[in-house]
Amino acid sequence: MAATFTEEFVEVAGSQIHLMKGGSGDPLLILHGAGGNPGWIRYAQELADHYTVYIPSHPGYGQSERPDWLETMNDLACFYTWFMEKQGLDGARAIGFSMGGWLASEIVASCQHSFSKLMLVDPAGIKPEKGEIADIFIISPAQIQEMLFHDKNQVPEYDQLFGQELTPEQTQIAEQNREMAVRICWKPYMHDPRLPFLLGRVNIPTQIVWGHQDQLVPLECGEMFRDAIPGAKLSVIDKCGHLPNIEKPEEFMKIALDFLA
Amino acid sequence: MDTYYFTEMPYTAFPESEVDKYPAMRLTFPNSYFDPNIAHDLFKRYLDEFQYAEDIGFDGLMINEHHSTPSCMDVEVNITGGILARVTSKAKILMLGNMLPTSDNPVRLAEEIAMLDVISGGRILSGFVRGIGIETWANNTNPVYNRERFEECHDLIIKTWTTPGPFRWEGKHYQYRAVNPWMLPIQQPHPPVWVPGTGSPETVQWAARNRYTYAAFLTELKVAKELFHNYRSYAAEDGWEPGPDKFAFMICCHVNETDEKAQETGKAFMWRMGYPLKGPREYWAPPGYFSRAGTAANARRRVRPLNELSYQELQDDYHLVVGSPDTVIKKLRHIKDELGVGALLLEAQGGPMSHEDTMRSIKLLGTEVIPAIRD
Repeated sequence: MAATFTEEFVEVAGSQIHLMKGGSGDPLLILHGAGGNPGWIRYAQELADHYTVYIPSHPGYGQSERPDWLETMNDLACFYTWFMEKQGLDGARAIGFSMGGWLASEIVASCQHSFSKLMLVDPAGIKPEKGEIADIFIISPAQIQEMLFHDKNQVPEYDQLFGQELTPEQTQIAEQNREMAVRICWKPYMHDPRLPFLLGRVNIPTQIVWGHQDQLVPLECGEMFRDAIPGAKLSVIDKCGHLPNIEKPEEFMKIALDFLA
Repeated sequence: MDTYYFTEMPYTAFPESEVDKYPAMRLTFPNSYFDPNIAHDLFKRYLDEFQYAEDIGFDGLMINEHHSTPSCMDVEVNITGGILARVTSKAKILMLGNMLPTSDNPVRLAEEIAMLDVISGGRILSGFVRGIGIETWANNTNPVYNRERFEECHDLIIKTWTTPGPFRWEGKHYQYRAVNPWMLPIQQPHPPVWVPGTGSPETVQWAARNRYTYAAFLTELKVAKELFHNYRSYAAEDGWEPGPDKFAFMICCHVNETDEKAQETGKAFMWRMGYPLKGPREYWAPPGYFSRAGTAANARRRVRPLNELSYQELQDDYHLVVGSPDTVIKKLRHIKDELGVGALLLEAQGGPMSHEDTMRSIKLLGTEVIPAIRD
């Protein structure tokens, strides 16, 4: 099916937020990871065949403005409850990827009726007990790219996503995205010590998905999320890294559509 | 013109080739290569050399601070400052400087520097620095807020020195209920403030707006000229004209009896121009540390990294001045005439340079070079 989505700027808390929107049916909010909004790629279009998909770029990311006061993950969670209210998304389904999974967890932990169903895909946010969350700030973007996938040769969209050298404008956006991630995730790095405790109050259906070979956030964290959220289910995709929606789109879509239905 | 003696107090007692096993000599080079007994002897030696530099006629002694690197054993500029305050009696003590953004306690810094000023009888020049990117990692302070913290920390220190306490401080990064340290500086209204820079346009502007002395560090002469020109422009906008005392220039310098001998012994500086300046981009420029204006200014200047320059090229560009007293006098006069600086900061010990070579160089600088370039 051909990609069908619109792009617009919506005002939240005095800031202009870049929003991609497409498909039809019940609303589904996508929260992107620390690297930025990958855009309307294959998985988004496939979800849009079933839902009205909303993909905002976080404040400070891409073309979205950052309000001056927004400096922490909790600020970002507050900002998004405002965004959802303005967009009429209260009680929508949501998927959070990586840092966006952490964000979704903070929202649902502090605002009980924000989502009706929550899917967390290799989320950051909980400190592992045995391993470590890879420090993506001290390594280069090229090194991060090497760690994203279990096997980049099996990634259908690899060339589309990484095949082209970045234009100067894209490079500047990538650096700005990285700076925004540093602003909100520097210390404690990529986690909130309170989160495992706060997640105990979550009482909506929650599906956790993990790439078994995730080199950025270890699978151990998936088990901790499952144990922290009452009734949550963890599905592990084998031979898969940090981005199951991109590395194993078919397996990912099956889990997503079964759960969201 | 005043001349300052400076060494980073390097620790070089390990095979340089070991560094190749790691991303850099800074931050992640394992400290298992460190031997505290060797460091003990080195500290004695380096501090003796500082004392000798004062005795032989240097106007000032400069000290600095870095973390997690063998290239600089001085991890706390106020400790070294305290030692020099006691063992010297007339030289200015230029601390360049305290890293403001990585400090969580500006009031403590203010009282430490005040105490040094009191012990030294008002000889402290208080340098304030942002810290290179690596210090951000070593101290784990968010690089995005580096400049904000620098400015707020500075504002609070100056207020602590100049406003009778107690007062409250409710800032963005620092908060205090009662700022009222007993210890205040001798120099009034406060010790002179110096700021180093290698090119950030914001730093020059900030130094000029505050009328502080700006010290260009190991830049090409043409870059230093540009930075000083910018300083003068900002000053002109504010309606004042800076004298030479507002400008300083830091280079490496080594003197021996003849040019030939100096060229040989001066090669020790290639150690400090090598591994200590290498490492991943992220170590030096954590995301958010450099502003877009700073990055653009650096790109526009197309400056070649020092560690890519040969021994001869470093000398051609005046990063390193090496020679007999006559040769060095000519070169330092050239720098003075080109830049109009009030102070030359000479890093006159570097890398594995021996005590003997260092002492001879200090002596020749003090007895022959400094008298010839003073006026």
